[in-house]
Amino acid sequence: MSDVKCTHCQLEFDETVMITEENNPNVYFCCNGCQGVYHLLKDDGLDSFYDKIGNSAILPPLEVEDDSSSFDMESFRQRYIKTTDEGFSSVDLVIEGIHCAACIWLNEKVLAKKEGIVDASINFTNNKAKVVWDEDTIALSQIIDTIRSIGYNAYPYDQTQEDIKVTKNKKDYFMRMAIAVFASMNIMMIDVAKYAGFFSGMKDETLHLVHIAEFIFATPVLFYSGWIFFRGAYFGLKNRIVNMDLLVSSGAVLTYIYSIYVLLGGIGHSYFDSVAMIITFVLVGKYLEVIGKKNAVDTMDKIRSQVPHEATIIENGVKIVVPLDAIKVGDIIEVKTGEKATVDGMLIGSTATFDESSLSGESMPVEKKEGDSIFSGTINSGKVIRYSATKNYANSTLSNIVALLEDALASKPKIEDTTNELSKYFSITILLLALGTFGAWYWIGGDFEQALIVSISVIVIACPCALALATPIASLIGLSWAAEKGLLFKEAKFIETFSKADTVVLDKTGTITEGKLKVKEVKGEISDEYLPLLYAMSDGSTHPVSLAVKNYLKDRFENIENIELSGISQIEGKGIEAYYGDMQLLGGSQRLLEAKGISFEFESIYTVYHFVVDNRVLLSFELDDKLKEGIGELMSYLDSINVSMIMATGDSQQVASRVAKSIGLKEFKFELSPVEKADYINSLKEENRVVVMVGDGINDALALSYSDVSIAMGSGADVALSVSDVVILNSSLKAIADSFVISRRTFKFIKQNLALSLLYNIITIPVAMAGYVIPLVAALSMSLSSLMVVGNSIRIKIKDQS
Amino acid sequence: MNSVLILELGVGIFVSFTLLGIFIWAARGGQFEDSKKMMDGLLFDSEEDLQAAVEKEKKVKALKEKKEIEKNSKKQ
Repeated sequence: MSDVKCTHCQLEFDETVMITEENNPNVYFCCNGCQGVYHLLKDDGLDSFYDKIGNSAILPPLEVEDDSSSFDMESFRQRYIKTTDEGFSSVDLVIEGIHCAACIWLNEKVLAKKEGIVDASINFTNNKAKVVWDEDTIALSQIIDTIRSIGYNAYPYDQTQEDIKVTKNKKDYFMRMAIAVFASMNIMMIDVAKYAGFFSGMKDETLHLVHIAEFIFATPVLFYSGWIFFRGAYFGLKNRIVNMDLLVSSGAVLTYIYSIYVLLGGIGHSYFDSVAMIITFVLVGKYLEVIGKKNAVDTMDKIRSQVPHEATIIENGVKIVVPLDAIKVGDIIEVKTGEKATVDGMLIGSTATFDESSLSGESMPVEKKEGDSIFSGTINSGKVIRYSATKNYANSTLSNIVALLEDALASKPKIEDTTNELSKYFSITILLLALGTFGAWYWIGGDFEQALIVSISVIVIACPCALALATPIASLIGLSWAAEKGLLFKEAKFIETFSKADTVVLDKTGTITEGKLKVKEVKGEISDEYLPLLYAMSDGSTHPVSLAVKNYLKDRFENIENIELSGISQIEGKGIEAYYGDMQLLGGSQRLLEAKGISFEFESIYTVYHFVVDNRVLLSFELDDKLKEGIGELMSYLDSINVSMIMATGDSQQVASRVAKSIGLKEFKFELSPVEKADYINSLKEENRVVVMVGDGINDALALSYSDVSIAMGSGADVALSVSDVVILNSSLKAIADSFVISRRTFKFIKQNLALSLLYNIITIPVAMAGYVIPLVAALSMSLSSLMVVGNSIRIKIKDQS
Repeated sequence: MNSVLILELGVGIFVSFTLLGIFIWAARGGQFEDSKKMMDGLLFDSEEDLQAAVEKEKKVKALKEKKEIEKNSKKQ
């Protein structure tokens, strides 16, 4: 059978497993959710969504069991809902499940069509939305239900003061940069004529006109775009620090004043172009820094929005919804199916099943009995339970993780930026040299104009263009090369750290292994008689082991007869029991057999699924998580460049050692909680190692944020992607080796560029100080030095092409 | 010769600053705040989308009027 695409989400599956419709022969759906959304969109006339998404696949609709009525509660209203000047209500949301521009289009369209919604705009870059609505017409819970009905989910978030400040700052820098780039581009075009004129001859009046035009463009760049440098220099001087801003602003202002002097009839050439270029280049770098800061704030908002905002507690037999801060130790808390536990506590009254993947990364639900600990942030995947709080919110696991992440994001160690450090000393030196040159020339020659021209030549020839370009241009080429290979470096500075890395720590599930269980071996023969029974049993549960067995049967056998089982019951954490007529059927782990008193010796280092009919074990399946392709090659590559590889997992020692043994890995850590994983990364860093962490789950987020460079697999959790520095889009392990090749080569060229520009300055500055260089030649040689750096950087990719 | 150059430069500077003005006006309105959405702008630019935007404006206007009437009646 061939694979076909799901009409809604575009993911490909085998034709036999797809849902089809009799009166609609050309549509296929992978699940009921996709089918539901497809019809909803068609009925609302929004099916042009499918033209808009093109060939890109999206995630099947998210199934949210959470009750949206909490959005209408008073505590929610007080915290998140604001009133606009016109009297409408407004809320900030983070939308989950946004994948492409078409998702944004769809959400905005569906909301816009809804009666009572005044405005709904979603930001694609950070998935934040602002919804304004009329409360008399529609309730917020209905709006949330609408978003959920088309397969997305929304969480409220509190727009922090920091967010408002950073957003404003970004807008301000964007405007300044846009004007600087615009003016510089115009000046560059005029420059073509100007410099051509120097060689072919240009009348003085014509040159004067060209200078006037350049003056018009350079003035807003210096005084509007460059204002932040003046401000920076002023605050620097106030605190007695000579910073890069001072060199940039003094260089630019001096050049500007001299150029005006030339424009008004003085001798020489004007350098308005240099004024604009200096400001523009440095401003672009600053803007990238501001974007980095904004991304960090957005990430924190995403994490915070996933934290539940209230909990149901039982007081004197009555259910009360309270904000998290109001929960006291000893309070009885109720958690419905699919809800998250809000504070740490102890289970009372019954057994429970919890999905702890957000903490341990372990995909199997964990069975809890009375008295067991419940951790905040884990999801109740079984029935409704009650537990007693043993900690308040501020001291609970979830709150601690959020606080740690906040710290990590805010104080992510800045890599020592060689260029900036260098520029600082460079700035002072050049200013002093220029000043000294001016003094010496004026003292010896007594000619003010001559002394001014020579000292300006020193500043212009040493203008930190080549130095400022040395890192960004090489990084830019390195980054684009990486992007071609499916690697996204979030910031250029990670290239440097990556090239120095000597330790790679990998998470197990999803990184070394595929994260999907597959049947490895079957003990016993699957007879035609029992095949439909076994299939129906495996179909009776959504547990990953059952799903793996079901998928195995579907792959191996065609046209399996569908039969109805009766009395299906889940035996939590162990398996499933059902009846077919008088026949008793069991499907599950070794622990299920023990619980049912069936003695059956079976030893395996793999996950096991037994199929039992009337207390007879007929079949035993051994399941294994497949190793990812290319893990062997990655290990030998890392070995060849003397980088050590370590596996860190939340799984048991048995599973970890089996995986480590199968790939020949000597170093591995097991049974690590997210905090322990992060501590382990810290301990490695204390040994002066430069650590690269590779992971994909929410449980890895903390460790990722603590490492020097973090890599997330593209298919991983949103939070992991947000805190990572490098994203591997195609989830392939080869990309990790590619990252090393690219970053090491790029960093080599950055160093070469820095050396080249310094060499250039060492040769040209003394010549300029001696008065052998007129400002025109100074400007030309400055441009040539920049070209030299650009030309050298282009060589980075040559290795790949050869 | 120079008069032609003056004309060219004058018109060039005028046109480019006008375009810059339009850009600033658009940026102030928040058009470039969402870099990803901006890149995919073409997707949201069909006749159908324009129609939907007009309808949305009408709906918002009606809602605002309704709110205004409510406010006034409360005052009275």
